[in-house]
Amino acid sequence: MSWLLAAPLIIPFATAVLAFLFRNGPEGRWISVMGSAALLIASGLLMQAVLAEGVVAGQMGNWPAPFGITLVADLLSAVMVVITGITGLAVAVYALADIEERLEKLGYHALFQVLLAGVCGAFLTGDLFNLYVWFEVMLIASFGLLILGGRRQQLDAGIKYVTINLVSTILFLAGIGLLYGMTGTLNLADLHLAVQEVENKGLLTVVAVMFMVAFGVKAAVFPLFFWLPASYHTPSVAVSAIFAGLLTKVGVYALIRMFTLVFTEDVDYTHTILLWVAGFTMVTGVLGAAAMNDFRRILSFHIVSQIGYMILGLALYTPLALVGAVFYLVHHIIVKANLFLVAGVARRIAGSTELSAIGGLYKTAPVLGLLFLIPAFSLAGFPPLSGFWAKYILVKASLDLELWLVAGVALVVGLLTIYSMTKIWGNAFWKPHPAGMQPKLGSLSGRDRASLILPIASLAILTCVIGLFPEPFVQFAERAAAQLLDPVDYVATVLGTEVEGATGLAQLEGIE
Amino acid sequence: MAEAAGEVPRVAGGPAGWISILIPAAIFVWLVQLVPAISLGEVILWAYDWVPSLDIRLSVILDGLSLTFALLISGIGALVTLYSAKYLGNHPEYPRFVLYLMAFMFGMLGLVLADNLIALFVFWEVTTISSYLLIGFNSDEAKSRRSALQALLVTGTGGLALLAGIIMLGNVAGSFELSVILSQGDMIRAHPLYVPIVILFLAGAFTKSAQFPFHFWLPNAMAAPTPVSAYLHSATMVKAGVFLMARMNPAIGGTDLWFWTLTIAGGFTAVFASILAMRQTDIKQVLAYTTLMALGTLTLFIGAGTSDAIKAMMLFLVVHSLYKAALFLMIGIVDHATGTREAEVLRGLGRKMPVTAVAAVVAAVSMAGIPPLVGFIGKEFLYKAGLELDQGMFWVTGAAFAASALMFAVAGIVALRPFFGKLAETPKPAHEGPVMMLTGPLVLAGLSLYFGLFPDTIEAWLVAPGTWAVYGDPTVSVDLYLFREVNAAFILSLVTFATGAVIYAIHRPLRNWLGRIFEANPIKFDPGWDRVLDGLKALAAWQTRHLQSGVLQRYLFTVFATLGVAVGLTIWARDALAFDLDLSSELDGLLFKHWAVLIFVAAGAILTALTSSRMTAIVCLGVVGIGVALIFIMFSAPDVAITQLLVETLVVVLVAVAMLKLPHLDLPGRRDKRPWHGVLSIGVGVVSSAVLIAVMQGDIDRRLTDYFEITSWPEAYGRNIVNVILVDFRALDTFGEIAVVVVAALAAYALLRGTHYKKPVAAKEDEA
Amino acid sequence: MELLISVMVGVMIATGTYLMLARNVLRFIFGLILISNAANLMIFVAGRLTPESPPLIPDGADVPPDIVANALPQALVLTAIVIGFGLFAFALTLVYRGYQSMGTLMSDEMRLAEPEEDRQ
Repeated sequence: MSWLLAAPLIIPFATAVLAFLFRNGPEGRWISVMGSAALLIASGLLMQAVLAEGVVAGQMGNWPAPFGITLVADLLSAVMVVITGITGLAVAVYALADIEERLEKLGYHALFQVLLAGVCGAFLTGDLFNLYVWFEVMLIASFGLLILGGRRQQLDAGIKYVTINLVSTILFLAGIGLLYGMTGTLNLADLHLAVQEVENKGLLTVVAVMFMVAFGVKAAVFPLFFWLPASYHTPSVAVSAIFAGLLTKVGVYALIRMFTLVFTEDVDYTHTILLWVAGFTMVTGVLGAAAMNDFRRILSFHIVSQIGYMILGLALYTPLALVGAVFYLVHHIIVKANLFLVAGVARRIAGSTELSAIGGLYKTAPVLGLLFLIPAFSLAGFPPLSGFWAKYILVKASLDLELWLVAGVALVVGLLTIYSMTKIWGNAFWKPHPAGMQPKLGSLSGRDRASLILPIASLAILTCVIGLFPEPFVQFAERAAAQLLDPVDYVATVLGTEVEGATGLAQLEGIE
Repeated sequence: MAEAAGEVPRVAGGPAGWISILIPAAIFVWLVQLVPAISLGEVILWAYDWVPSLDIRLSVILDGLSLTFALLISGIGALVTLYSAKYLGNHPEYPRFVLYLMAFMFGMLGLVLADNLIALFVFWEVTTISSYLLIGFNSDEAKSRRSALQALLVTGTGGLALLAGIIMLGNVAGSFELSVILSQGDMIRAHPLYVPIVILFLAGAFTKSAQFPFHFWLPNAMAAPTPVSAYLHSATMVKAGVFLMARMNPAIGGTDLWFWTLTIAGGFTAVFASILAMRQTDIKQVLAYTTLMALGTLTLFIGAGTSDAIKAMMLFLVVHSLYKAALFLMIGIVDHATGTREAEVLRGLGRKMPVTAVAAVVAAVSMAGIPPLVGFIGKEFLYKAGLELDQGMFWVTGAAFAASALMFAVAGIVALRPFFGKLAETPKPAHEGPVMMLTGPLVLAGLSLYFGLFPDTIEAWLVAPGTWAVYGDPTVSVDLYLFREVNAAFILSLVTFATGAVIYAIHRPLRNWLGRIFEANPIKFDPGWDRVLDGLKALAAWQTRHLQSGVLQRYLFTVFATLGVAVGLTIWARDALAFDLDLSSELDGLLFKHWAVLIFVAAGAILTALTSSRMTAIVCLGVVGIGVALIFIMFSAPDVAITQLLVETLVVVLVAVAMLKLPHLDLPGRRDKRPWHGVLSIGVGVVSSAVLIAVMQGDIDRRLTDYFEITSWPEAYGRNIVNVILVDFRALDTFGEIAVVVVAALAAYALLRGTHYKKPVAAKEDEA
Repeated sequence: MELLISVMVGVMIATGTYLMLARNVLRFIFGLILISNAANLMIFVAGRLTPESPPLIPDGADVPPDIVANALPQALVLTAIVIGFGLFAFALTLVYRGYQSMGTLMSDEMRLAEPEEDRQ
């Protein structure tokens, strides 16, 4: 089991080393592609094991939990790793045509792979301090990727991104210290048990709120999201795509993990805060997008808005709502990364991402138009695309709790999302190009076209598949949510003890 | 591909065209063979478990209502696609057009056939998206783009309301299956959520069917190519809302709320739209407004809700679809042939375009409600149902009368006048349309006549089973006839003709007069829409300007303020500081060195914050770093202390080196004084101290450390426990730590090397 | 002692915060250094303080003598110090390059990624 869990860390690190050694030649990029493919395969195997066994845990160095560091995959972790593999591979292929040689020589592929390693590590670790370490691995790699190329715009964005993220990092670190001081342990499963022994519950809630702020910055929620719209439109397209897909989701993952596994002692308080945060995040994000006039900047603000939906799922804290959160996470990563990739192609052939400066893509690049419409309408939650189910589940979860206002906000934000998606569509695609240009995919070389379009098309197909055949995905999300709501299996597997009582699913069914 | 096809004319649109014609035709034929069974009152159910986890099935309910709609959708669909193959067959984007049209048709069919409300909603939204693409088909024109967006947002808004309504109804009824829900009307109507459910459903239906005050998008949607208008406005898109109301009638209809909302909105829309129609001179626009009138009438009679009213509604539904599709297609032919659609320009086309004229006149006569066309029967039954109402008789009948009279006049203006009289000059010389385009209007006009002469057929096939479905009672008898006796309805018809004729006679002065009135009217919906959108943009811009200001300082302030406020409030709300602080034991055993270090560090930190000299700041940072290292030494952490000293030295050296190239901290004459930041910082500091002190109350659980102490030597062979933890127990942390340092070096290297290429990058960016 | 160190940590955090809120990003770096130290101390203190008994196992013994300092927080702090240094070094380089490239250290003058003119 340990190897299966460690593979998603080892593969990208090994790939990073190799890619760095071969950074001056064309081998580097192919190593990156192969490494990403290997990561995808490894994540698939891990998923298979998790599906078969429920929760899979491995003790690093064979030191028993909670003393050593545990790697652990429940369904949520496993699916996050799989989706990391998918996005990683898609972006690695895209990078073949997108990343200039100059950036490759500066170590683009190595940084990219380290980023993937950090992300996978964060998803798989079962130890709070180790989570911090993976956050830092991911963060430093993202710093490097963000400024790679060194344009002035990137440096400006880099300063904002780096400063705000460092604040969050230190807060996270301080939070770990405090939680350790209260419980004496770092293992997440052990913490689940240890927090129940804490006498000063109020203090526990205070620490929970500190973690909420720390992860809130990473997840880009209101009012902590500033770094994201300030920076995501500046790096290379491949970089902003992987950022858009994965980075904030690590923050969301951490929030979900901590607020289902550890901080569940004062749900009324913490999750009510989360509910407000979710609402404001959805609204401010989508309004920010409505105010933007650049392809990538609109998309960046939409990330914020969509994060709100995921937090909503966590905040409502019912089985159905968590199903929605899990479903939303998976759906969003695919769709959002894809939209950034489309933006990159649009820039390549139409000359810019500034909406006033481009146009005419609909007439002369219809394939790109279709490939934009699928993720765009999916993002806005139109059926029968993946986003609809994600939104539907969350709206239903809100209505089931009779939270009318919340459901209303979720729906209206969907409408505003479609408004800004059509702004892109109307300007970049429908409107004639202001300079009379006729942007065509044919203007790209055959190789470039293949490596740009292939990942976009694959992700679009995935979106459609989830949309048209949602049942297995919903079932999966239900199982994942059941594990989250009742982490008995998780704790038992990690700590290696048999905990009495029904398993997560059975208990959940009992509730219903 | 589409690009190349413009050069070689496609026969009937090429393969795309044939496919687009054959699919609806085949569906139509298949549906027709189901008519006998349905007309006997059978209801066909079929289901596929789509998302059983969410209780969502792709289930079909084929009863009189859905069959009627499905026949109209596929039948008119086939005629429209046939027409489009000629009309647009050589357009470079024709294959795309076919794709959208097929998607639209698919959505409509799914919508009317769905038994599961979520499935219905899915198809509902499919029509929303595809109509967006169809309305914006002439994408070069800003007007098309605006209209498409308007239709999308207005119907999209309603769609969202509908979704909420569906979920709520599903929760109330315990199922999303219509076949279950429709039989629980009494329970639903008594439920406390009944009123919101009705409002939400009607929001969906009214926006889709363009009921006042959501009517404005529909005339704008005329920006679409004519076949699209014909299709969207006769049998499909706009009827979806009507369908929804009809479908839900047994479950949520029959209350006062339902009655008055529908009759008032419907009646008002019908009359208001007829008057607006009189204002227009573009025949396509006129037809668009008459569509509104028809939708209003249908809503009015669904609301009226008696079995006679439902019967009349079902009949009028078919009647309207037939003549409206024919007339739209007709005006497309005329536009194609003459280059204009202006009612004031077109005269005497009958001689040049005899076939078109025949179709147009038959359809127009049906629209005017003149016997023996089916339109007459439709109007008669509307009147009959209206006159027999117990409640709201005058309102319903009056609205129907006013609308019908105006329709009579409009029929004359749009379809009779252009074909009679002296041939007028048109931009292009008039000529007869091609067969493929004439087929549709002729077939539809023929059906209007056939059903008028033989009303039993339409009664048995469509109207009766439809009425059973909508009224929710399969025992209602339906008996249609062209003429039986002189009754109140018949007399009202005669009055209608007379009134209509008068209006027709004075339609020009009337138009001018209406024009002046509407000019003076301050409430304009279409510009109002722009204002709403502008308001939204302004709100978005305002919010974003303040929130995402682009200034890092404000961002950080917000982050720290959030932290301080959130943690501070939580301490207060959760009473986290409820413990007794034993000061004397805390201060016990403190030595001078302890005090000295603490004061040194604190003073160093404060001085760093307040000084405006870079050198002082660095020295102070060094003092703080060394002080911290001393604390590590004093409390038994020599390894940490050594590392701390090393790192701190490096930090100071690096900062000092960097500063050689960096400017001074403050501009000359400006000190860094920020009282509010000071307050926030002190707040954050106080909160942090408080939390830390609170955490320190009580003893720590040393399980982990105990284990490390016991196993460090026997199992991990290390005597320095800290080192053993780093390289063995928590080796993964150390691995990650090394990765961070290596990557930091790599990233810093990329930063330093990468920016050397500043100039060429900038140039490349410009050309990109 | 824990109490007083906690107060001192609070002072470091307050001053660090104040520095991080400054216009001049170099001050942010100063604040970063201070606040990193404070966070490390927090972990260290949270593991409770034990004077003059480092967590070492004397030669010939299998376990340390009676009471030694809590080793785990020390290990964590060591890791955190090194990671913090990596981040600091990058941040400093970024500020340095940023100054060379944009000609300012004042954060409100850094308006390239989010220029003012696109907000009408």
